[in-house]
Amino acid sequence: MVKEIKDTLRIIGMSFEIELRQNLTDGFVLFGIVIQPLIVAFMALWMLKDKGPDYAIFVVVGSAMTGLWTTLLFNGGNSITGERWSGTLESLVGAPSSLRIVVFGKVLANITQSLLSMIGCYTLISLAMGYPLTLSRPIFFLISILLTVFAFVGFGVIIASLFILIPDFQRLQNTLEFPIYILCGFLFPIALLPGWTTPFSYILSPYWAARSLHGSARGTLEINQIFISWTLLIIFSVVYIIGSSALYRLVLKRARVDATLNTTG
Amino acid sequence: MNAIEISNLKRQFKTTIGVIKRQTKEVIAVDGITFDIHAGELFGLLGPNGAGKTTTIKMLTTLLIPSSGTATIMGLDVVKDAEKIRPRIGFIFGGERGLYWRLSGFDNLRYFATLYYVDTNIAKKKIPELIELVGLKGREKEKVEGYSRGMRQRLHIARALLHDPEVLFLDEPTMGLDPVGAREMRMTIRDLQSAKKTILLTTHYMFEADALCERIAVINKGKIVALNTPAKLKHTVQDLSIIEIEIFGIPPDFLEKVRNLEFVDSVAVETRDQRQILLIHTPKGPSAISDLVEVLNGLRLGKIVTREPTLEDAYVRLVGGKL
Repeated sequence: MVKEIKDTLRIIGMSFEIELRQNLTDGFVLFGIVIQPLIVAFMALWMLKDKGPDYAIFVVVGSAMTGLWTTLLFNGGNSITGERWSGTLESLVGAPSSLRIVVFGKVLANITQSLLSMIGCYTLISLAMGYPLTLSRPIFFLISILLTVFAFVGFGVIIASLFILIPDFQRLQNTLEFPIYILCGFLFPIALLPGWTTPFSYILSPYWAARSLHGSARGTLEINQIFISWTLLIIFSVVYIIGSSALYRLVLKRARVDATLNTTG
Repeated sequence: MNAIEISNLKRQFKTTIGVIKRQTKEVIAVDGITFDIHAGELFGLLGPNGAGKTTTIKMLTTLLIPSSGTATIMGLDVVKDAEKIRPRIGFIFGGERGLYWRLSGFDNLRYFATLYYVDTNIAKKKIPELIELVGLKGREKEKVEGYSRGMRQRLHIARALLHDPEVLFLDEPTMGLDPVGAREMRMTIRDLQSAKKTILLTTHYMFEADALCERIAVINKGKIVALNTPAKLKHTVQDLSIIEIEIFGIPPDFLEKVRNLEFVDSVAVETRDQRQILLIHTPKGPSAISDLVEVLNGLRLGKIVTREPTLEDAYVRLVGGKL
């Protein structure tokens, strides 16, 4: 058992490192991580500068989360597609370690990298524009950030399986981007949406991440409400991670039947 | 004891054709093949492009699920026991894909050592050893994108050996290598054979199969058309002599004319630079040359040579095609 945990952590650590190294040598990814968030942060804060100083933190958190999701969807997804095109997806599947664990490490690398970039960019632009970035509950906010990573990684592992199963899934990337922004309440409360959409928001772990981050940043949630958000975030993330085990078994079996692990058949 | 047992293995692929009226077409890549490979044997699988060699290897390496039939590796079923098989096999697919080009050769090996659960301390010793074995010492810290084709191929070999597998699948390992690189690769394969590894090798190069393999199966259109030792396969064409005629430009109906000659068993054409070499298999021996004069009349000819049949000639006869 101890050896299994050690091996799993070693695989996560190694795939994290490899993904990070590859991202740092990819101009397209670097643009998405460094330049694009700077532009988006500047535009978002500029557009909303008349809303008052307390609104700044809402914009910063919301925009950073949209950036996080975009990174997850595009970098995470493209990374799987890239593995297929370079022929390494077969090498990963043919290895004895679990592909799900490898993907976990890859998604974790993309999320961590993106999160650090978002925090850096938004802090920099806010300071440059003279926005006071005050946090109502800093400790709760920090814990919420850590849990947000967990929520996004769990969600990312599920999303990545679709890229393994469906070689053309890249075509649907754009259509998935906005529904998640909206349903998870990254930039505006889900109360503005029709009532029938609420259950969909509730089963998405990034929604609970957004709720706890916004609530702890602006002080709009009571402490017990933040705890409820964290609990639900953890429950849904754990469900995703446990569920992904069966999902990956199904996906890999399907991919081996349909011969979709490689582009050359 | 058999390391690999294959029984009636079949694999079909579905492809769609057309845009508006889409039709699904089934292609049979491997059509009910059966053979065994003994533990420690170096077994060759030969066949033209699209014959089913790579599909067979992908089923055996658990990357494809067979449509029907069974295959076992060390007694483990390739479908049901895929997870148990993976730590015990190594595979390389010919070509340059399957590596992380933006990483160094060393980092590629470090990554795969982790994925194959090679202990960190063992990996620290094993990776430099393998780098030396495949001749990449001094270049291991460079990115793979800067490697030559041969270097990438050798890195593939090192990757496949990281976890010291019992069974190796080598799909055209010398493809695209220069003569020196190919010779070194063959020496590496021989060393692996001496280390009692079970090896399934596919190659297009007959002399390579002849020199390395203990037994050879010839696969054509998804079916095994012959299975024997190289010597016995050559023996199947022992009754024939091969006449090689160098021709500069073969007229359209010429091959058909030669094929219809009573004393001709089979005909193949090999292109070398601007010349074409007509290979005529005949039981008549050198005396057939005088009988060929009539059909050769008017053509621009070069050298004419009669020689004993090789494994390549047996292969040509079996797959019945042009080279």
